[in-house]
Amino acid sequence: MSLWRTVRNLQRVGVREWWRQLQYIGDAKSGTLVGADQFGNRYFENRNGEEEVPGRHRWVDFVQHDFNATQVPPEWHSWLSHIRQDPPAADPVIQNLTPPWKAAWTENLTGTPGAYKSYNTVVPKINAWDPKVRPRV
Amino acid sequence: MSLARAYLTSGLVPRLSPVSTSSVLRSIIISRRALSNSPCSHAQHAPHNHSDEPPVLKSRIEERMAEIHALQREGFRGGADYSVGPSALDKAVHLFFFTEIIRGMWVVLEQFFRPPYTIMYPFEKGPLSPRFRGEHALRRYPSGEERCIACKLCEAICPAQAITIESEARQDGSRKTTKYDIDMTKCIYCGFCAEACPVDAIVETQNQEFSTETREELLYNKEKLLSNGDRAEAEIAANLHADHLYR
Repeated sequence: MSLWRTVRNLQRVGVREWWRQLQYIGDAKSGTLVGADQFGNRYFENRNGEEEVPGRHRWVDFVQHDFNATQVPPEWHSWLSHIRQDPPAADPVIQNLTPPWKAAWTENLTGTPGAYKSYNTVVPKINAWDPKVRPRV
Repeated sequence: MSLARAYLTSGLVPRLSPVSTSSVLRSIIISRRALSNSPCSHAQHAPHNHSDEPPVLKSRIEERMAEIHALQREGFRGGADYSVGPSALDKAVHLFFFTEIIRGMWVVLEQFFRPPYTIMYPFEKGPLSPRFRGEHALRRYPSGEERCIACKLCEAICPAQAITIESEARQDGSRKTTKYDIDMTKCIYCGFCAEACPVDAIVETQNQEFSTETREELLYNKEKLLSNGDRAEAEIAANLHADHLYR
């Protein structure tokens, strides 16, 4: 890491935020707060090419300690992956194409009791033999 | 005396006074140098001559041997001209003062003061295309009705045969699937199912972080695929909108 960059970002974001960044992102970054999603994850951007290498200019600060890439909802995921230029609140395409029946986002729950478990959605065609005893006459 | 012997064995003296050494020693020393005195070939491509005649292969061994003999008569000792270029002292300075190593270390030192290049996943992510093919999803119409009409084109085109579909007619006469299973362990993420779909029902979303701990969780059924579509509909529709000029 660059020493001067680390010290400069410490001056900009403050000791508390700086220490949090070093604990989670592992690098001191400073930029403008673009927005936050419904979970509280904060999204930052710094488009100055002298301060951030292009490709590292958008980042997320997860609200959970046990962070996970799937905690980012899809609209912000498309912003974070540089698919959409504007954040979801300022993107007319995202705003117009959000249906009223949109389901709530859940992170990848594998390894927890909430993990998806596959099941059959139709009546099984092959059944085990279920012997029935005909009553004696 | 021991110092002089050490110099001799380390090859310093022959390098500083190349005139006093024999030609064999000189060729060894010169061949050890890497970049500063390596001759460039100045090779040029032969011009193409498009003639209809079939090519005739000739060895021209007599002509080439005559050239070699002529060069040997003139006292030709190799292709490199040592009268120009770096002197032996220059080469010795570069060799013994480790200039190449120091230049390489300087490049490393410059990187230390530059912003690092590493993309810190999952906080930062590399760019994705709107056409990225990740986890599958089944979409719905804006009214909330599911799109899939059970035409089974995706099942037919799937190269890995990962899709299984069963269907039946509903009470209102529309034909819908009762079973839409994708074995994500078989899927090769080619995107043919999304291309084959006439109603844009099956799509591949941008989600690539659907790793599971057990194999069983990757056997997706219709409910799982529909819930994927319900959660990510805004992103899917925005990607299709971004790509609609090229479809």
